[in-house]
Amino acid sequence: MNKDLSVKTWPHLFNLFITLFLASGFVIALIFFFSRTPGKSIYYFFIGPFINKYYLGNMLNSGMTLMIVGLGISFAFKSAVFNLGGEGQVYNGALVATVICLAFPGQSGFFIIPFALVTAIIASGLLAFISGILKMKWNVDELISSFLISGAVIQIINYLITGPLDDPANNLLATRTIAGQFFFPRILIPSALNTSILYALLLPVLAFMFFSFTHWGYEMIMCGQNRQFSHYGGIKVDRYLVLPMMVSGGLHGLAGGTAVLGTYHICYKGVTAGIGWNGIAVALIARNHPLGVIPAALFFAYLEAGAKAVMLHSDVTMEIAALAHSIIFYFITAQFLYQFIKQRRRKHW
Amino acid sequence: MNYSEFSLPLLHNAVDIMTPVLLAATGGLFTELTGVLNIALEGLMLIGAFFCIVFAIATGNLFLGILLGVTVSILVASLMGVITFKLKANIFITGLATNLFASGFTVFFSSQVFGTKGVLRFAGQPLLPRLDHGFLGSIPVFGEVFTGHNFFVYLSWILIFLAVFLIYRTPFGLRLRATGKNPEVICALGLKPMHYRFYGILISGFTCGLGGGFLSLRLNAFVPEITAGRGWIALVAIYLGNKTPVGILGAAFILGIAESISIYIQGIINIPADFVLAFPYIMTVIALIVYSIFKYYHSPENNKGEG
Repeated sequence: MNKDLSVKTWPHLFNLFITLFLASGFVIALIFFFSRTPGKSIYYFFIGPFINKYYLGNMLNSGMTLMIVGLGISFAFKSAVFNLGGEGQVYNGALVATVICLAFPGQSGFFIIPFALVTAIIASGLLAFISGILKMKWNVDELISSFLISGAVIQIINYLITGPLDDPANNLLATRTIAGQFFFPRILIPSALNTSILYALLLPVLAFMFFSFTHWGYEMIMCGQNRQFSHYGGIKVDRYLVLPMMVSGGLHGLAGGTAVLGTYHICYKGVTAGIGWNGIAVALIARNHPLGVIPAALFFAYLEAGAKAVMLHSDVTMEIAALAHSIIFYFITAQFLYQFIKQRRRKHW
Repeated sequence: MNYSEFSLPLLHNAVDIMTPVLLAATGGLFTELTGVLNIALEGLMLIGAFFCIVFAIATGNLFLGILLGVTVSILVASLMGVITFKLKANIFITGLATNLFASGFTVFFSSQVFGTKGVLRFAGQPLLPRLDHGFLGSIPVFGEVFTGHNFFVYLSWILIFLAVFLIYRTPFGLRLRATGKNPEVICALGLKPMHYRFYGILISGFTCGLGGGFLSLRLNAFVPEITAGRGWIALVAIYLGNKTPVGILGAAFILGIAESISIYIQGIINIPADFVLAFPYIMTVIALIVYSIFKYYHSPENNKGEG
């Protein structure tokens, strides 16, 4: 399980190309099978995200959130710490940011926006910290504990949103809308794209610099590749069980807060919609490379936007889109494809 | 005051509740012993839950439905096994993919075939027969705890016995354990560790299919995400049971009692439904932590004790 997830770049790109090719082929086949107007459906799936400002902006916007989540996951995976609690941590961040904004309706956004985001980061970071510290202290499997804690947190937040924090004025299972001065300014007007793009694009670069040029980043990667060896090398390996987990959780919290302040302005039940899992897919496509997260997140957002466009404009339903997603996930796991071609003649099974 | 009036139904429910977890954990144990962490238990259960009831309705035959449903679950497990071992993917990632695939595919299939993404209810469906047998019922005091369950419950106990036999009394079991402890030994014997890991995954597909079938057939309905984390709880049960079949039985029973009590308390105090859904996760994570602390402080002795 602790096998290094990164491979050499060229085979990886080759592999990625095949993966994308097969995935597209699969989506087309699926559309042909289930759609009565396959030509139109295929057009909207692949070109749909670019036909107007609204679709384009929304695609880029969901890409920004995914980028932060994917970066969070790759932080953990790069250090061979497995954070499966992404879904709960994002949800937690979203709720905390909403609650802070609702608590100070009259204040200026200049103070409250950073405060809300930082609190979201800390809250979700602490959630992940629990799993990290349990692993460090008593060797509790962080993979299972983070998932279970996240599972519990999701239900508790569901309770808070539908119970004490529910706004009876709207018919949604949601909190009240946050005050207008906390909204991130929109960039591409009809769409939800907003100024969070500034830090969403900056963070992967910062992470890249952290891993490449700092002492801590180097030690973190070393621990990810071989914890025992790092230990013999004098690195305090325990620290790098907790730290990546916390950073990972913190970034998830930031993603949740960003989604609320930038896009939704409200925290409704199930606001995360599987973004924690999609973040894992993004990190996998990027092979945990901090800069690779940028194109990977945009690609994933493109797939999602295409699925949405095709749903609006033709007879393809959401489930087909969801199925296409899971199959693409399978294909992505297929770092095997390249190795398969390489090892075909060697019988090892 | 007569305690047995509420304590016995409580235990009776616990036996019922623990069954899907026990079934999944039994199969998961086989993969765990080969040194593979199978996080796909959840997804395999979901596949089993969906296809058992769908095939049972389609064929009109309960037994055939379970057989076909479990077969699908084994097929998905083998797909995962092939991708993981033959094509050298990371088991953790294929496990994740299997979980995502299962939750996407069941909803997709249900909307395509039955036209609903929500709860699938069936009228005139084959009910799981309750079994009341004299032998277990004649046990003093606890008799009623063990009777009146459906056959899945008894099957899960039989499977535990089978697992004990298979793991500790057959060459297959010995090699399975050796694969986890020291794969080189298996290689030295001229065998392939990969084969045993693959068998482990197939067995977990089989039992998870059964565990899922229990969930949907008992309800006579399929609810999206009907497994609600039970696959993960099963994973914890394997750890709590110290990776032995009998230990798993005990662990599943304790988790079952805990959930049974929480359901009982719900009946007395009015707790919001979402909050109740969090209980299994919280209890399981606490159990995991307590177990890990215990294990941590006793690890030198533990290592000597194991063969």
